[in-house]
Amino acid sequence: MQSGDEGRDVTAGAPVEVLHRVPLFADLDDEELGRIASVFKERRFPAGETVIQQGSGAAAFFVIDSGEATVTVGEEVRRVLTAGDYFGEMALIDAGTRTATVVASTELVCAGVTFWDFRPIVEENGVIGWKLLQSLIGVYRLELRGEG
Amino acid sequence: MSEVVPLVDAHDTSLFGSKAVGLGQALRDGLPVPPGIALAGPVVDAVAGRDEQAIERVVQSVRPLGGPLAVRSSAVDEDGADASFAGQHLTLLNVPGVNELTSALNEIWWSANSDSAITYRQRVGLFTRPSVGVVVQRLVDPETAGVMFTQNPITGAHERVIEASWGLGEAVVAGRVIPDHYRVGDTGEVLERVPGRKDVAFRSLPAGGTVEEQVAPELVESLCLDDEELAELSRLADRCETVYGPARDVEWAIADGTLYLLQCRAVTRAGT
Repeated sequence: MQSGDEGRDVTAGAPVEVLHRVPLFADLDDEELGRIASVFKERRFPAGETVIQQGSGAAAFFVIDSGEATVTVGEEVRRVLTAGDYFGEMALIDAGTRTATVVASTELVCAGVTFWDFRPIVEENGVIGWKLLQSLIGVYRLELRGEG
Repeated sequence: MSEVVPLVDAHDTSLFGSKAVGLGQALRDGLPVPPGIALAGPVVDAVAGRDEQAIERVVQSVRPLGGPLAVRSSAVDEDGADASFAGQHLTLLNVPGVNELTSALNEIWWSANSDSAITYRQRVGLFTRPSVGVVVQRLVDPETAGVMFTQNPITGAHERVIEASWGLGEAVVAGRVIPDHYRVGDTGEVLERVPGRKDVAFRSLPAGGTVEEQVAPELVESLCLDDEELAELSRLADRCETVYGPARDVEWAIADGTLYLLQCRAVTRAGT
């Protein structure tokens, strides 16, 4: 899988603009992304708080509105996330375990959407479901070619 | 049915959660619960999502309580027979007033939708969307507070087991002190009183939140409950068992000489 809890750079902005850049959502149009963006909720973390923990269950996908967070896998620091970055989108599909730890290095303001709020949107809209499936296959093919 | 009601009118656990309905029932039965407002899961969800109409409705209902406020989660399924969410869902003490209520409800909503809460739900076989009701009450700022089991949780004996410390009950609940330990018999006689080591106390801050303060040295190992207060707690245990049934786990507080019931639930045992 190309992306996950380690995050990817995107341009800061409204959730729809950010969501456009998430590979999982690459094929969705503005209306479809707007439907997903509408169920985001703000979540604030004080500096030093663990946002997600590698190995724990995964409930939500987050887009950073402001602040900074550090991503580690095991003991290794992988990168710093800032406004417009996102992490944890795999949680929306399988609510599996986190593949990285993210800790707020400053006060962190995110917009987040949970597995529970995302799933009904997909279940009610076959077009969105089909596009997500195509995106997943696209990401999988890149991974197979070693380009992920 | 309204999703924002006075606590005394909270009847439906599928809407308001067991904590809110339990406290509502206690008020209906004349138990000394601080008055408050019960918010149903869907309205908490809407406020957490910054829905303006929902925020206005909640603010209008809560404003007469004044402040500061205690904002407690009351998740549906919480404290149920199959799962205890103790420690998973947030309680926010000393929220200054309605202006800070939206953020408080957002925090509580996320506490029920956090990674740790989801992990816990999956472990106990709950695969449904979390729904978190909320109880908003005027904060009691106690001199003394703690917990009480209406039956001995170790031996099963029908006696009151009371643990108490100075200030807010969080010092006892969070294990920050060795609390005073009391046993009171069926007929009200004090069977045992063991002073704890209560070197810190949680107090409310004027700007919101709580602070852990050092307790005056002469109070650290002094008993914080007298015979009259123990008798009153024992009478409260009687009333709770009459209303709710046997074997209750009670959170209580004494403020300005008045005993308050903060929470009453069935005793949950580790491993069940």
